[in-house]
Amino acid sequence: MKNLKHTLTLFFLVLISTFGIAQQRKANKDTEAWRYEIEAVQTGTQGTYLIKVWSYSKKPEIAAEQSKKNAIHGIIFKGFPGKAGVPGQSPLTNNSNLEEEKADFFKSFFTDGGKYMKFVSLSNDGAVAAEDRMKIGKEYKIGVIVSVNVAELRKDLENSGVIKSLTSGF
Amino acid sequence: MKKILLILTLFLSISETNAQAKKPTIMVVPSDVWCNQRGYMLEFYNQGSIVKVPDYKTALQENSNLLIAISKINELMATRGFPLKNLESALKSLESESAEDAMLSSKTSGASVVESPIDKLKKTAKADIIIQITWNVNTMGPKHSVTFNLQGLDAYTDKQIAGASGTGSELIGSNLPVMLETAVLSHMDNFNTQLMSHFDDMFANGREITLRLKKWDSFKGDFETEYGGDELGNQIDNWVKNNTVKGRYSATDTTENMMLFEQVRIPLYDGSGKAIDAKGWAKGLQKYLKDTYKIDSKLMTKGLGQASIVVGEK
Repeated sequence: MKNLKHTLTLFFLVLISTFGIAQQRKANKDTEAWRYEIEAVQTGTQGTYLIKVWSYSKKPEIAAEQSKKNAIHGIIFKGFPGKAGVPGQSPLTNNSNLEEEKADFFKSFFTDGGKYMKFVSLSNDGAVAAEDRMKIGKEYKIGVIVSVNVAELRKDLENSGVIKSLTSGF
Repeated sequence: MKKILLILTLFLSISETNAQAKKPTIMVVPSDVWCNQRGYMLEFYNQGSIVKVPDYKTALQENSNLLIAISKINELMATRGFPLKNLESALKSLESESAEDAMLSSKTSGASVVESPIDKLKKTAKADIIIQITWNVNTMGPKHSVTFNLQGLDAYTDKQIAGASGTGSELIGSNLPVMLETAVLSHMDNFNTQLMSHFDDMFANGREITLRLKKWDSFKGDFETEYGGDELGNQIDNWVKNNTVKGRYSATDTTENMMLFEQVRIPLYDGSGKAIDAKGWAKGLQKYLKDTYKIDSKLMTKGLGQASIVVGEK
């Protein structure tokens, strides 16, 4: 009887963790498929962008955590539109094939807990305002405000030879 | 012997791949409209009409907000590896250089420095790319906002190569220096993105320059005189066609006395891999005229992107 209990507990634990991993994988696929939205919040301090990232997941916590990855992904490849008083920003690269050309670099850069984490931080400890948590069908759409250290991110990508610097060629 | 040749080839190929294009200088200046609105203008009577020119020196001495805006742009550009020429320092250097030239005499004969009127005219604060800034403060009751405009202008082609503008958020109780700093921070990255596109275009299609040809009145012929079976103007046109990147140029104006070529795309490097600018490229045309048609000419240049050749004599 005791053995059965242990086995069942173990089984549920494995099931829960598998479900978590599956959710995370789904979130990563969403990032790769550009399934996120970025909007300007206000002009950040020197070298930073303050943006709100909308991410999707069945688990609100995963959506909030994925926002960091989406923020960096968006700033490198997508840019974001502005709003009244705050201009939008262009992506760090204008090469639309960069993600495929440097696939190996970005694979390790965007692994869970990867280097991208160095350049992004959650504002207000990741607290999500009530109006930024929406249930759409079976999943949540979560808006999280993050600050991205774009100056350091750009420098890192330039030093790695992923993007060109303003002075390259001179 | 083979080893020496191999080492030499390796050395040459390394020095060729390491060749760097000539880096343009950039300087931030307040726009004419900004200076005019604040009364930083000098007035001259030129043949009966009043000519107004911006008085940068007074503007820099009296307007601390201008200094903040320029300094912030300089700082942000330096972090991108592109330190700018500082307007105030350039003006001071010009003043001290003029004073030194006036006092300079040689040790042996006491000769002084020669300066032609054209040399004097060229003594102004200049850069290859001018970043022109303008801002206005908008007031709506207690709320203030700043409308900010940055224009990157190519000093030789007169083209705007980058720009960023917009009005910041309306704020209550915020002061101008803070609003200006925010405006600069929010616009510089977009400005630099456009500047980078301009550089990418330059590396792909060559440097864009302007070439002017004139003739001395002492020259017996003109651009319609036949040389080598065709008019001199056509021979020059052919040389330009053969020496531009993908044959890109526009012969904007042509008469018997002058020729103006615009949007001339010159290669960044010569045949030996050495970086060249308008001067290096136009020297080729000067040499062609001398070697082929025995025509002497005087070559004058302005920065990286403007060349004038006056044919007939030096």
